[in-house]
Amino acid sequence: MAINFGFAISKPRAIDIDRNNLRKSDEILREMPELQTCIGCGACTASCTAGQFTDFNFRRMHTLVRRGEYQGIYEEMNKCMLCGKCRLVCPRGINTRGVVMLIKRKLGDF
Amino acid sequence: MSFFAPFCLPFIIGAVFMFLAVGWKWIRWIYWLPRADKMLILKGIPSTRTLGAIREVVMESLLHRRIFRVNRLLGYMHMSLAFGWFLLIAVGWIETMAYMGIRWIPIQGHVFFKYFSTGLEHKPFFTFVMDLLLLFVLSGVGLAWAKRFMSRKMGMRRTTKHVPGDRIALSALWFIFPARLLAESLTSALHGGGGFLTGTLGDGFGMMFSPLTLYGMEQTAWWFYSSCLGVFFVAMPFSRYMHIFTEIPLIFLRHYRLRSTEKESSLDNFQVEACSRCGICIDPCQLQSVLNINTVQSVYFLRDRRYGMLSRETADNCLMCGRCAERCPVGIDLNTLRISSRDKMRNLPDERRYGYLKGVDRSSGAGKVGYFAGCMTLLTPRILQAMTRIFDAAGEEVWWADRNGGVCCGRPLKLSGETDAARKMMEYNTSLFRTHGITTLVTSCPICLKVFREDYHLEGIEVIHHSEYILRMVKLGRLHLKHGADRFTYHDPCELGRGCGIYDEPREVIEAVGELLEPEQTREHALCCGSSVANTAISDQQQVQLARSVTSELEKTGAEVIVTACPLCKKALGRGTKAPVRDLAEVVAAAVK
Amino acid sequence: MKRVVVIGGGVAGMQTALRLSEQGVQPVIIEKEAELGGKLRGWHVLFPSFTPADEVLGELKQRVRQAGVEVMLSTEVGEFSSNEVKLTDGRRMACDSVVVSTGFTLFDARIKEEYGYGIYDNVYTTVDIERMFNEGRVAKADGTAPKRIAFLHCVGSRDEKVGQKHCSRVCCITGVKQAMEMKKRFPEADVFNFYMDIRMFGPGYEEMYREAQVRYNIHFVRGRISEAAPTIDGRLQIKAEDTLTGRPLHMSVDMLVLIVGMRANDDNAALAASAGLNLAPSGFLEPKNLFLDNVKSNVEGIFYAGTVSSPKNIGESLNEAVAAADAAAKYVEE
Repeated sequence: MAINFGFAISKPRAIDIDRNNLRKSDEILREMPELQTCIGCGACTASCTAGQFTDFNFRRMHTLVRRGEYQGIYEEMNKCMLCGKCRLVCPRGINTRGVVMLIKRKLGDF
Repeated sequence: MSFFAPFCLPFIIGAVFMFLAVGWKWIRWIYWLPRADKMLILKGIPSTRTLGAIREVVMESLLHRRIFRVNRLLGYMHMSLAFGWFLLIAVGWIETMAYMGIRWIPIQGHVFFKYFSTGLEHKPFFTFVMDLLLLFVLSGVGLAWAKRFMSRKMGMRRTTKHVPGDRIALSALWFIFPARLLAESLTSALHGGGGFLTGTLGDGFGMMFSPLTLYGMEQTAWWFYSSCLGVFFVAMPFSRYMHIFTEIPLIFLRHYRLRSTEKESSLDNFQVEACSRCGICIDPCQLQSVLNINTVQSVYFLRDRRYGMLSRETADNCLMCGRCAERCPVGIDLNTLRISSRDKMRNLPDERRYGYLKGVDRSSGAGKVGYFAGCMTLLTPRILQAMTRIFDAAGEEVWWADRNGGVCCGRPLKLSGETDAARKMMEYNTSLFRTHGITTLVTSCPICLKVFREDYHLEGIEVIHHSEYILRMVKLGRLHLKHGADRFTYHDPCELGRGCGIYDEPREVIEAVGELLEPEQTREHALCCGSSVANTAISDQQQVQLARSVTSELEKTGAEVIVTACPLCKKALGRGTKAPVRDLAEVVAAAVK
Repeated sequence: MKRVVVIGGGVAGMQTALRLSEQGVQPVIIEKEAELGGKLRGWHVLFPSFTPADEVLGELKQRVRQAGVEVMLSTEVGEFSSNEVKLTDGRRMACDSVVVSTGFTLFDARIKEEYGYGIYDNVYTTVDIERMFNEGRVAKADGTAPKRIAFLHCVGSRDEKVGQKHCSRVCCITGVKQAMEMKKRFPEADVFNFYMDIRMFGPGYEEMYREAQVRYNIHFVRGRISEAAPTIDGRLQIKAEDTLTGRPLHMSVDMLVLIVGMRANDDNAALAASAGLNLAPSGFLEPKNLFLDNVKSNVEGIFYAGTVSSPKNIGESLNEAVAAADAAAKYVEE
């Protein structure tokens, strides 16, 4: 039984790349190719200001997006305060604030 | 005298069209203003603010004092065109009155007076003055041509790229005065009465051509002159020359204390169309000078916003350092307009956002003085450590708002355009400050400082930057610093300097502990470190490039230590140099006796 | 007799000189420090065999002495070409070839301010730990024994924020080695290694990693620490994401050890400019190619040995020194 965070993001099921539509993921990576350089160190999530108060996990969210799992991500991204600490600690130099805004734009359709 | 000839038609049609179009714009913009703004105008008109506005109109719209300050040659060019043209019109009216007495004369009668006045006895004084003024304007036109083709010689590395409407208006404008010179000279050739300029040129024409040819040429020249005016007037409301009739009301509105806000409003129309696209904002832009990005500067942002073709890239790719606004001769509130454009693109009100902040309080300690470190300062623990030492040395009881992690001040979110969501964080922090009953709020982060002063409602709580706090403690004798032999240079953080006008306090503090060496561009002209939270478009490597260009200028001072007063600048500059980069607090803490 | 100048008297420089004299070429080692040994001086034991560093270094120095290699200590090179070396004191030395073995510089952990090195007590680097082991006094700043120790991998490696894109290769195994040594000394202590990736490339390394996990019960947490802060009781609070569970992780520790990486020497650029050598984007000197000429520079008669061209372990540096010496000997004979 999965814990209910209010969104379906923690549903215990396989990521089915065959069925997932990667169009938005591809669009996001085309605009921000550096997101592919993420090595998943989690420094962004560790330093996250919003992460102190919620279960918001930026690394996990953008990784899910890259796998074509979009459900609930927009709402999760809205927890971000855009303070920019993650951008300062990212060892890959990823423009994390830009990524948050890009994902919200692509998934929120505006 | 009928004061009419067929060639006047293009001019008359153009002028009527222009006055209708400009009037239509003005009326709608004023009508759309929020009620509160209209009240400000009504209250302002009968006050001394009106006199101030008139003074500024003369100084800026006619004499272009601010451009003179940036670049004398450019200032002369703008002044000769604006003030020269104004004088041509004004003296032209006086001239007409001197000839005809005080009576109604249709407008083309004034403009084409030289054509209609051939039968009258000449008044050499006016002829001379009008020729002199024409020469004055022509010298400006000459410089404008030169600027187009040799912008570097004019002290501008780059000049604006124009839209088609501008090109039409610009071409017409370039030909108006040469055409006038030609027309008046030819009339003088046929009928005499020219001054030192038109007369001499006219005599030349008289020697070269037969009267019949001259007559044909004269008609053509006047048609051409009138057509140039007509085309210019028709194109004007749709081109950058709309600034001529927009800057004037904007100056009045500004004097009546109308301000643009994070939300788009009708006042923005005045701001946006007051831009003359002079391009002075291009050179100070570091995105241009260091990164070679040439499409996002304020002139292009305003142009694109005006014509409804603003792209997200243009709106987002700006450091909001304010270097351009500092030099803008029209004083347009460029950063605020950027924010309202971003707000329009991105703001989605959502009451549920940041609901998770309810009941959160991670503050510690107690005291009337509160210290807000800010998110970035948590990544620069030397600043925190130094502030602790300073507070201890000053014997201050401190309430630490966010030492163990706090909520962001909201400015980064506001700068990105999510202004409603940013309000949620502001409300949270405001109530946190109120709950703990502080009377002074110290922050070492200029980003937080700016938003506390600008957007928070903290009446009864004095908000100060740590540089101000430290200086106050030194002056009160609560902090004793020893002066050493270290040589420092100081980097003005954008949000602290241009943002909050704090230039002197950090300098006084540095001078209390060592020698201060100023970089080439300093105070209101200081460079941006490149890592501004306002920019979400440039890459990490581009940020480093910007940082390197700044540190190389700072290193040229020969100082051993680079001092700044912002955790983000500190982090950013540290990536550009091997020299030590310290926050003001660190330098002070090391010098505490 | 042909003369080859070896710039730098660390393990690679010494081995180069030895091999050159074996080949009948006269080597001269120029070392800027007052003693031979380079970075190996001050190291305690070597991975993966826990061989005392002194054993290796002592033997190497002994051989250099026996071979009668000319050594110039406390001497620095200003400029050089393949047939002349100018010293900073103005002296000039003629030679037939040059081997550059100037090594690397340790990353200065103070740059990563968020980890608190040089700010808080009980934040150390791997170099400090080796020194403490050498001095035989490993303890917290207050002299007591640590109960919980955290190691952080990749400090100053694979980090664009400090301009170090490369992997320093040997730090993973160093971190594992020191974790085990800590555990040996403080069996009651909990040791946590925070890593992004564990790269065990050398002989016996992977086995050592397994041993650390199984025999020493060292905890490996996949996540990079984002910041450290002091606690009221003088310990350190660290924050990371435990990326394998996807949740933030906080813990307080008695000691935080930053596993610092290798960076290129600051004077590489000046050296390269004086001799016309190619500099890699990482700041290390770039070999002619990575295969058949990997100890040669782009300039005829100038060769590289050891970490001057990229991070390497000691075994690799020693091997490369032999190859560089042979290449130089062959060059001067022709």
